[in-house]
Amino acid sequence: MPQEREPDRDAPRADREAARPDRDAPRADREAARPDREAARAAAHAGIGQLLDSLVPSLIAKLATLNVGELEVTEGDWHVRLRRPAGAGPDLGRRATDRTGPRAHGSHEGVGAPGPGRGITGSGTGSGTGSGTVSGAASGAASGASASSNGTPPGLAPVGPGRPDEGEAGHAAALAATRDPIATSPAVGIFQPGPTAVAGTRVKAGDRVGVVDMLGIPQDVVAPTDGIVIGVIVEGGTAVEYGQDLVHIEAPTATEAR
Amino acid sequence: MFTKILIANRGEIALRILRACRTLGVEAVVAYSEADRDSLAVQLADEAICIGPSDARRSYLSVPAIISAAVVTGCDAIHPGYGFLSEDETFAEVVRAHDLTFIGPPPEVLDRFASKEGTRRLLGEYGLPTIPGSVGMIRDDEHALVEAERIGYPVLIKPSAGGGGKGMRMVRTPRELESAIKVCRSEAKSAFGDDSLYLEKWLDDTRHVEVQVAVDRYGKGIHLGERDCSVQRRHQKIIEEGPTPALTPAARADLCDRAIAAVVAAGYENIGTLEFLVDAEGDPYFIEINCRIQVEHGVTEMLTGIDLVAMQIKIAAGEPLAYDQADVQPRGHAIEFRINAEDPEHDFRPGAGVVERYHAPGGPGIRMDSHLFPGYEVPPFYDSLLGKLMAWGPDRATAIERGRAALDELVIDGIITNVEIHKALIANETFLEGRMTTNLLDRVGSAAFLAAAARS
Repeated sequence: MPQEREPDRDAPRADREAARPDRDAPRADREAARPDREAARAAAHAGIGQLLDSLVPSLIAKLATLNVGELEVTEGDWHVRLRRPAGAGPDLGRRATDRTGPRAHGSHEGVGAPGPGRGITGSGTGSGTGSGTVSGAASGAASGASASSNGTPPGLAPVGPGRPDEGEAGHAAALAATRDPIATSPAVGIFQPGPTAVAGTRVKAGDRVGVVDMLGIPQDVVAPTDGIVIGVIVEGGTAVEYGQDLVHIEAPTATEAR
Repeated sequence: MFTKILIANRGEIALRILRACRTLGVEAVVAYSEADRDSLAVQLADEAICIGPSDARRSYLSVPAIISAAVVTGCDAIHPGYGFLSEDETFAEVVRAHDLTFIGPPPEVLDRFASKEGTRRLLGEYGLPTIPGSVGMIRDDEHALVEAERIGYPVLIKPSAGGGGKGMRMVRTPRELESAIKVCRSEAKSAFGDDSLYLEKWLDDTRHVEVQVAVDRYGKGIHLGERDCSVQRRHQKIIEEGPTPALTPAARADLCDRAIAAVVAAGYENIGTLEFLVDAEGDPYFIEINCRIQVEHGVTEMLTGIDLVAMQIKIAAGEPLAYDQADVQPRGHAIEFRINAEDPEHDFRPGAGVVERYHAPGGPGIRMDSHLFPGYEVPPFYDSLLGKLMAWGPDRATAIERGRAALDELVIDGIITNVEIHKALIANETFLEGRMTTNLLDRVGSAAFLAAAARS
């Protein structure tokens, strides 16, 4: 069974708190659309608004579905480079496609070990103590995030069963404290994204972005804040648990997202 | 046999069920609330699924959440453990309606044994002694006086709709009865909206003795001996042992034989426990049946060598009992100490917090069923049971000695526990002589036991 382990979320809470500032630090780079030369500045300013509205959201969406840490687009004199926030990148990327439903988890080994390709390899075993190897993704930022969580002790360390620390302090608080807002599952059941759960869609706090079907009764998955949908983390038709991350939303600005 | 079982409980019993599943070679999914994300059962499980927030009403007591979790994880049975939904016949019915099996009695059996009053009548018809009481509800004062005279004073006036001691009075004379009836009627009326009362014989200084039974789907039943749970605090058991020191071997055998005969005749199925009050003369009175695995089942397991949880799962899967009565040969004596996160110095106030150090005692005849580990944070949302320390010996004195050594060896740092009251109790003369009664701890006060232990 695929492992669904993220080093950060498995670390004791104190470590997790400590890891957060680092993780969020390079984030400002994401939206940096940087003109190359002074002379182009005037022309550039006219293009910036248009670019941010059209190109950037689709690039963000693209980045969320790809397993790369960085994305750069060159168009004429323009370079747009997007980089995943450290820590959030490999995590979200992994959940977007690897998650097949409630899963086994055991104690983890080899946290942060370099691995090929995308974020995770692992083998769940019946004993529950099977190995799960989490590796960093391609980019430097993502690898750094992996490495920073190496302090997690083996053995009976608390095991995160599939998503980060929303639980302890309630969703709102945790979302505010971590990274981009995420619409989480209100129930145990089968997830179906709604028409608004499409990259680039603007949503308001409380908007329905999907449902979780619990024994035939749909339970609304709602956007926790205003923002732009980046993409679904879990495919439609997947079994999900209570509180599981389902739809990734980009807050209007980086500072508001914190 | 089942292929995959959803464990819809937490704490030590979730771990105990997980172990039984492993023994049986059945996959298990641990359903947990957000507060139990880091729990040992979740860590050790083959698979685990979060069913809701820490509030039990939205997790461990949420029927849709539990059923949905079983469905999406591909389970074919649900083990409810004890407490929560373990004896809820509606839950058992919903489980069945989703083509899943409830590990416990089938819904119609749960339904038949749901009412305490009805069960007493039913099993009374099949030969179990019940507490003498009025025939039906008392109509008026005159009827009450006649019935009380027939039962014999002192009698207990009880409301039919009762619970929690409201509208209940013990009276010693006809004069007291006449004045108390009016008070009880008005109390019952305001508390339950129903003022019907009945009378029951008042039993002083009773022992709590319970018989473990197992009945398969084909009507074959065995008993697995009895346990004595007379060491109680406000109706909460804190020490259980077997066999009971209160009865002679012949009286114990007779009680167990009558218990299994009655439940088989009444159509019970799966494992269960029949609770009796035993009066000072050694006469037992049936009070209720528990249709689930009990906290103190380990006492019986140590005496008989039989895995009761595995047996419960097999019976629910439709397997015939693998044991005859002659195969059940209890040996020696076993005592269980319930280790709770409670402060005996402060009226057993429940506590929570992080377990800084934990060491489970060992040695011959020692068993510790607990979900603790160093670093575990005891959540404040659920009951305070941290684990069960069990000690077995070839005789009662050895079991007590081993229990004492094990209590001394046990290390739980970081949270307050009730270990001191256990140490005080097993040093107490009344306990050593096997004379504890259910009301003793409350009547004397646990402080007195602690103080006596401190002096010696």
